[in-house]
Order: sequence, then structure tokens, then C-alpha cells
Amino acid sequence: MYQYDAIDQQLVAERVAQYRDQTRRYLNKELSEEAFLPLRLQNGLYVQRHAPMLRIAIPYGMLSSTQLRKLADISVRYDRSYGHFSTRQNLQLNWPKLEDVPDILEELASVEMHAVQTSGNCIRNTTTDQYAGVIADEVVDPRPYCELIRQWSTFHPEFAFLPRKFKIAVNATESADRAATQVHDIGLHIKKNEAGEIGFKIIVGGGLGRTPMVGVTICEFMPRQDLLTYLDAILRVYNQQADRKNKYKARIKILVKALGIDEFRSRVEAEWAHLKGKESTVPMSEFDRLAGFFTEPTYKTLTDKPAELTAKLAESAGFARWYERNTFDHKKAGYRIVTLSLKKPGQAPGDATAEQMQKAADLADTFSFGELRVSHEQNLVLSDVQQDQLVELWEAAKEAGFATPTLGLLTDMICCPGGDFCNLANAKSIPIADQIQDAFNDLDYLYDLGDIDLNISGCMNACGHHHVGNIGILGVDKKGEEFYQVSIGGASGHDASIGKILGPSFGQEEISGVIQKLMNVYVANRSEEERFIDTYRRLGITPFKEAAYAKVN
Amino acid sequence: MPKLIKNGEIIDNPYIWLQDAEEAVVPNGIVAAKKWLAEKDTIGDVAGIWLEAGDGVECLQGVDLSQFDVIGVNFPAFVDGRGFSYARLLKERLHYQGEIRALGNFIPDQLGYLLRVGFNSFQFNDDVDLDAALALHSPFSVAYQGDVSDPRPIFLRR
Repeated sequence: MYQYDAIDQQLVAERVAQYRDQTRRYLNKELSEEAFLPLRLQNGLYVQRHAPMLRIAIPYGMLSSTQLRKLADISVRYDRSYGHFSTRQNLQLNWPKLEDVPDILEELASVEMHAVQTSGNCIRNTTTDQYAGVIADEVVDPRPYCELIRQWSTFHPEFAFLPRKFKIAVNATESADRAATQVHDIGLHIKKNEAGEIGFKIIVGGGLGRTPMVGVTICEFMPRQDLLTYLDAILRVYNQQADRKNKYKARIKILVKALGIDEFRSRVEAEWAHLKGKESTVPMSEFDRLAGFFTEPTYKTLTDKPAELTAKLAESAGFARWYERNTFDHKKAGYRIVTLSLKKPGQAPGDATAEQMQKAADLADTFSFGELRVSHEQNLVLSDVQQDQLVELWEAAKEAGFATPTLGLLTDMICCPGGDFCNLANAKSIPIADQIQDAFNDLDYLYDLGDIDLNISGCMNACGHHHVGNIGILGVDKKGEEFYQVSIGGASGHDASIGKILGPSFGQEEISGVIQKLMNVYVANRSEEERFIDTYRRLGITPFKEAAYAKVN
Repeated sequence: MPKLIKNGEIIDNPYIWLQDAEEAVVPNGIVAAKKWLAEKDTIGDVAGIWLEAGDGVECLQGVDLSQFDVIGVNFPAFVDGRGFSYARLLKERLHYQGEIRALGNFIPDQLGYLLRVGFNSFQFNDDVDLDAALALHSPFSVAYQGDVSDPRPIFLRR
């Protein structure tokens, strides 16, 4: 993991002191509400329906057990003993007191964490694949590049007051895109060119919200040393030229769409001509230095499928299910990547109690070199588990409520906090997740349905990424009553697409029934091995629509 | 005389910010860049010019900026961040060496970033307490990116 040196530590310490002073002045009425708003946002603090919400950055998803214990401890001492892991590798505390936030930030700084730029119109936390560094088929480990971007974007003096928020995600493998890079303001795909040099395919102008769009390629291959100057050029063009009059038109996606990618590219290139080769060009020594923080742990020499594992797989259907769904191939023989599911029925998706956080930290220490990852799909990951210890880990994970064996299935939902917490929400989202968990509780059936992304957002700001769910559910308000619009056909991977709205919205109690009808169409029409999304793409929306709105005789 | 912060001190403001294009041009005036560009052959002596958010700095390409004692940048709202780039581009791309003055609705809590991009004088709105603002007149002691005081990013300085 990246480790702060005196410079990094100094910077977060000065930021905490600055925010402590700002909070003091705000509470003394020396700083107006209007002036304090963006300052607190850029320190992670929203004011929500019932209380402030503090969003803590987990840069590119990396978390040490020490850090997770600190988060658990903070949630107990300053909040209600739980936290919510969001889709962008952050942890949200729903009940902190505004006046306590400087103390919380100081606690975070003590374990090399912060809440810098986790909200507001600035460059947000950079995210990546939760399996970074431990899968066999990635081009290179994306984390050193994420750290490079983290530092470049942190307190960038030109880009702290952008037209709107700005999100960057990095992917380094052809086989999957677990970071939803194509629906980010900038998506970066690490590539090697024919000469074996490392660089980036750069995708720009993706995003969800009111006007969902899949990003377009601005550059097929940017050598890695030029990444930061090129990012500076994109941000400069965006900062200068985006529509600042209307917040719904202020994202980069609208600018790119309005200009067309060719014109946007030529403006970026014109700006870049001034920056290319200048001081922000990254020297090899920096890539080496950063890569040095992400070296392999001391793996043992092991073989795949040890006897303990194969015996248990044969003997226990429950374990076999968990193994099949919640563990993933590791680049080292004898190891496995394990997801600790935060999708237990009865618990809001992505929520973890302080006790669970403590437990997950313990499991990381025992089974995975003391490190964890946080995923876009709102789960925790132990990245380096010995296969001969999987049975033991499974038992422990079951006890802690982490072993719901549904990773990637219908009930492994992405879900925003919704109207239960959020000011912006039109409707509640957690009760919808509960309802779906209840209705689809037959594991055999879920397994038979296979891979399906179901995403729920409480409003069109789309924190629950409903547009890119194979099934998306969006809370809408109709004359003060909560309704839900259902869309299908979205995807967030390399085949990213925006879902299509099925038709008129449904009442809360109808949702699981509607999903059941969609599943019936799928099951009746699928060819062998065909995923839901593929059946949809083959058949189109019509049969699903007809089933969902068919009159009951 | 109205006060402002320049180079870390509260001093008398010797210039007049001519916000309104109809105002009579005076030798110690800071006149809108657009107006100056349109009337430069007849406008006579001015202390400097000021850029509105949206003007960009490209319009000043080819102008001898050394004739100005001051170039102002207006912040129509403090959350409008376009002016941050203007200051930097004036210095780095147009090689302007004189005073760069922030004007308008920027706030004291932005001083750290404003200093880093090249502003060295700050004409706050009347309701801002300059002594209180002066207490915020310094960037963090370390920075990851290059800026006008040192163009080298942290990776060239660690």
C-alpha cells in the first residue's frame, strides 16, 4: 500500500487545521453559510435530511486493517456504530455532528486517511478495480497510477472550483471493467503499445445523473509520462468552456456532446501543446517510486486446489456455492481473492456495522496480509487468501454476516442510501432492496438466473448507478408519492450501455413482482449459457415490456 | 483611500476598478480588457486592464502587457473557478510580470489557491475584514503540483 511520507502527512495535517478553523468561524458566524458550503463539501461533509453526512475517501479502494479499525472506532465514537460503503470507494457516515468533523478528520489523518474532495465541484476520489494487483491478466497494476492521479488532483490550485464534480476511474484489464470507467468524466484504460510501453487509452465524457452517457475515446494511447499534462489540458478546457449557468449542463459530458469529440479533442490538443514535455511530465523514477509501494506480499509457494479445498467443495453445497460466487482467480497458485459480501438480507446494501468492520479487519490480519479492498459493487475484498484456509475463512465470514453467496447475482444490488437519509432523494431505496432480498431468497433460483446487475437509485442523481444496471430502479416523486421507474439493458463494463425505461413507473409494492415477470421472460427465452443482458440484447425491450404491463385477467 | 491586500500587506489601493464600461477612463483606472482592446489606440493611459470570467487570456495574445501595472481578474461568484487559470496563464504563457489582482466575489478562504496560481493582490468586497483575511494569506507549506512559485511537481522535489 502507499505510505505517507513527511510531506503527505504534513499536507493532511495542515488541511485538518484549516478545516478546524473554518468550522470554528462558521459556528461563530464569521463565515457565511454560502461560503462555508463548498469548503465543507470539499472536506467530505454534506448536510442531509436528518444530519450531516461525512464521506471518507478510500483512495482506489485500498484499506489496511489498521485503517478499517479506525473507521470502526470513529463510527462508534462519533456516529451510530455503522458506515455505508459507496459505489466510488468511499465510506459514508450518516450521523456525525458538524462540530465533531475536524476531530474526525484528525483521527483519519493519524492513519493516513482523509475526506479531501469527496464531494463538491472538484476532482473526486480516483477509483479502480478492486482486484488490482492480484489478477493474472492485467496489463500492469493500476494502483501506482491511481496514486499518481490522487496526488495530482489533491488541492490542484486551478481545479478546486470546477463547473461540476469530476470523477476519474482507472482500469487495467481487457477481460473486465470493474470500475465502470466508461461512465466516468474520465475513464483511463492502461495499455501497452507494440513497443511494450505503458500508456493510457483515455475516455472522456461518460457519466450518469440526469443525462446518462457512455464516454467516448479522446486518445487511443497516451504514453504514461504524458498523462498528467494531458489531464491538465482536459481539465483546463473543461474548466474554461463548460456551461456554468445551468448545473444540469455543467458536466464534461454535456460539453463533449455539444462540441463533438473531434472538436473537443482539438481544443484539448491545442492546450496540451503548451504543456507537453513541461515539468508535470512524469519521470521514470516516480513510476518506480510509486510501484515500490505496491510490491507483492510474501506469498508462499503453493499449488491450486489443495486437498482441504477439494474435499470441502465435494462435501458442502453451501461452501461450494460460496466458493463459486464469492471467490475469484488469483494470479498466484494456491491463492484466491475473496469477497466479503455486504449484501446480507435485512441489512442495507453496502452497510457495515462497527462490529463487522472490526471483524473484517481481523479477517484481513488472519487471512490476507492485513489489507482489504472496497469494491464499486459495495462489498469488501480480501485479496490474498490461501486456498487451504478458505474453509476456515468461510466459517468466520458466515458468523460475521459476510458470506451471503450471491456475488454478481440479482440480490447483490448496488443501492444508494435513498430517501431514508438523503436530501436529494425522491424516494426510498433501501426498502426496495429489502423487498427484493425477501422475494428472491431462493439460492437455487438465483444461481439459475446467473449474473444480473440490479442497481437502485433514489433519484436521478443516480448514486445507485441505475442507468447501468441490467435492471435499474429509479425512485421518482409523483405528487408527493413515491413511485419507481424500471429500466433494463444497462451495463457498466467494457460493454457499457445505458438502460432503456420500460414504461410508466410502478408503486413500491409492485417492484418485486415486476422483476419476477422480467425474469420469467428471460428464463423462457434464454439460450443455454446466455446471461440476462445478452437475452435482452437479442430480444429487445418489447417482450419484457409486454410482460411487465400485461393485464391480469 | 480604500484598502487592499498586496504582497501580504494591507495597503492603500492606488487604482480604481472601472467596472462599468460607461465610466470615464482615468489614468489610475483598471479598465475592462474588452473595452481596452476595442479602444486601445485612443483610450490613453490606464493603470491596467481586467478580465471578466469567460474572456479567456487568448484575447491578450500579442499585446505588450508590460505597459500595464496591474491586470485584474473578476470573480463573478467565488465558486466560478475560471479566473484561477487566467492568472496562471497570464504568468506562464503570456509572461506577464506585473501585479495580478483578484477582483469581485472571491473569498478569503480561497487565498491559498489564488496565491499558488499567481495572484499577488486582492481587492475584496467592502464587507470583508482585511485583517481577518490576512490571517489566511498563505498556501499550505507543501503542495503536490507545480505552481507559479515553483513549476516542479512534488515528484521533482521529494
